[in-house]
Amino acid sequence: MILHIDMDAFYTSVEERDRPELVGRPLVVGGTPEGRGVVAAANYAARKYGVHSAMPAATARRLCPEALCLPARHDYYGQVSGQIRAIFHRYTPLVEPLSLDEAFLDVSKSEALFGSTSSIGRRIKREIAEELKLIASVGVAPNKFLAKIASDLDKPDGFVVVDPQRVQEFLDPLPVRRLWGVGKVAGRRLRQLGVDTIGDLRRLPAWRLKQLFGRSGEHLWELAQGIDDRSVIPDHRAKSISHETTFSADIVDHETLRVWLLELTEQVCRRLRRHRLCGRTVQLKIRYADFTTITRARTLAEPTHITREVWQVAAELLASNLPARHEGVRLLGIGVTALEQPQPLQGELFDGDIREKHGRLDELSDTIKKRFGTAAMRRAAELKK
Amino acid sequence: MNLTIARDELLKPLGYVTGVVERRQTLPVLSNVLIRSDGENLKLTGTDLEVEIIAAVKPQSADEGTMTVPARKLYDICRALPAGAEIKLELSGEKAVLRSGKSRFTLLTLPEADFPSVEVGTWDITFTISQEQLKRLLDHTQFCMAHQDVRYYLNGLLLELSKNRLRAVATDGHRMGLSEVELSVDEGTERQVIVPRKGVHEIGRFLAAAGKTAEIRLSPNHIRVSVENVALTSKLIDGRFPDYVQVISSTYQQKMRIERTALAEALARVAILANEKYRGARFTLRPDLLVVTAHNPEQEEAQEEISANYSGKEVEIGFNVNYVIDAVNSLEGEEIELGVNDPNSSCVLQSPDSSDTRYIVMPMRL
Repeated sequence: MILHIDMDAFYTSVEERDRPELVGRPLVVGGTPEGRGVVAAANYAARKYGVHSAMPAATARRLCPEALCLPARHDYYGQVSGQIRAIFHRYTPLVEPLSLDEAFLDVSKSEALFGSTSSIGRRIKREIAEELKLIASVGVAPNKFLAKIASDLDKPDGFVVVDPQRVQEFLDPLPVRRLWGVGKVAGRRLRQLGVDTIGDLRRLPAWRLKQLFGRSGEHLWELAQGIDDRSVIPDHRAKSISHETTFSADIVDHETLRVWLLELTEQVCRRLRRHRLCGRTVQLKIRYADFTTITRARTLAEPTHITREVWQVAAELLASNLPARHEGVRLLGIGVTALEQPQPLQGELFDGDIREKHGRLDELSDTIKKRFGTAAMRRAAELKK
Repeated sequence: MNLTIARDELLKPLGYVTGVVERRQTLPVLSNVLIRSDGENLKLTGTDLEVEIIAAVKPQSADEGTMTVPARKLYDICRALPAGAEIKLELSGEKAVLRSGKSRFTLLTLPEADFPSVEVGTWDITFTISQEQLKRLLDHTQFCMAHQDVRYYLNGLLLELSKNRLRAVATDGHRMGLSEVELSVDEGTERQVIVPRKGVHEIGRFLAAAGKTAEIRLSPNHIRVSVENVALTSKLIDGRFPDYVQVISSTYQQKMRIERTALAEALARVAILANEKYRGARFTLRPDLLVVTAHNPEQEEAQEEISANYSGKEVEIGFNVNYVIDAVNSLEGEEIELGVNDPNSSCVLQSPDSSDTRYIVMPMRL
């Protein structure tokens, strides 16, 4: 059996826990009070107004002007997430985190030690509540797909167990949108066919779904039968590491954009190094004032986590893709993908060892920042910001 | 042209000459060996336009004349003939006919006028050295040369002649081998030359053991190494060798002494489980103990403990294990001295009582 554990309104719950006076008030984390950026999280009081995460902060402000808007403290949420994961690891090493606030656990092999999967689920939920004062919703099911649906079904503070003998009864009444891969478009097409629930979908012949959706149609059909044989993969490797920022006012000046990009690049590379990873592809994201968004990528000859090397590509991408005249940039982002473990670095006898020197420089800078904060050491260019 | 020669006389010199002949040639005639006879002696010449070898050999009888025949085919035929065989080679029109006992081969020739000769300027330095010493210099260093590096000056061996010493230095940028011998040459004949890889390999092939000398001549663009009956002329690499003196002037704070064969054997075993591509191994220097570990992507691991003589502080340092193995195998004597400073700086490997030959290896960050 698989557990899916999902923290309820994680970021805002952490803020409410630390500042009890906020409880009950609509609360939004992320974006700026002026209504720029996007909402990273909204508490249940704010959700009543229709505010949800990933919504532009401006929209959230319009929907719920009285909501308190807090800056996101990602490092801190990361720490809390680590404490939650430590609780998971008391019961099994098979923990697959999906993000800071949710994870799959395979506790089948721990049942002899700790009791049934659902009793382990209850213990984890209780320990998170008692030790961290946070509420998790838990889904207990025979596979990942069902566990994820289950944890979401009775949120907040949910605890739903799917009986392996009664999977069909559980799934059939649910709307098709619950299926992974069914979004707005597919949902509309299915409704035209009279398919509203997972049960309706399950009763369609497999070939019909294949005809409609190609290969993903087969997958949908399997999900509708409650079939999902993916295993829980611990140490789920990141596929990419990226950072982006929405500016408090649109930026036109190239040099200012370059400086922002340098800082974002430094952050991305620090994360790469912290996770002991190297990336091969650098991707730049620019969103202009009119919301048109472009992404441009370039692949390096060798994977790297050296700030200077990523920066060279990032700066080139910016220079070659930013038109001489534009209406201003609203958002800038940089990401590194095609991640792999770093390879041993052979030292050079002669002056060719710039790479090695920069590797050591980065290492030193990371140590200083870790100890004294990110402001303790900066690249001179960033002072111009 | 007509000649008769003992197979056993011809085989070795022909082998030296064939060594420089490349398998793939831009000019067809470069596949051939030029055979020139003055009626008494034969001179065999092979070249790739960069390196030329001329070998002298005494036939049983020969007319005056010249011909060119495919070098590798001629050499392969000679090698395959029985020891003690007699070879007759006869030019017949545009073909050469080789007869030996009941064997007969007809080979194509090419006009000798097409055969290029190396134009050397004037030799401005000449000195002699024992063949044995020269061979030692080359053998101790040549494996450190770079191979097809864009820094073309690393694809060769530095020979540095100074007042009383000849020094050979080779490096691929990651490790360096240096070996030197005392030599008395005339005042004012100091010179640094870079001999290309191929020339270095071919010289090593004909240098003989004890007792004989080699003559070395240098011109601004060429080197010639001559022994009794073989002379190799090579172009020099026109480039600036990196500042190796700076590399060897480091001092090493931590010095460990290790029994050489014990170390060589342990490293050979550890290397089995080192990453096939990167070859990294971790060397930990502890009081009177060297611990070497390596692991591969499959997470298999090898560990060796080698007793040593050491009283310095504990140092952990990564190396490409192959570089260390090469050095340890090339050094002589009972013991090896390993000098290190820290995990980011080079180390030195040499014999404890002589620094005539030493290896500098840059660490690897594992």
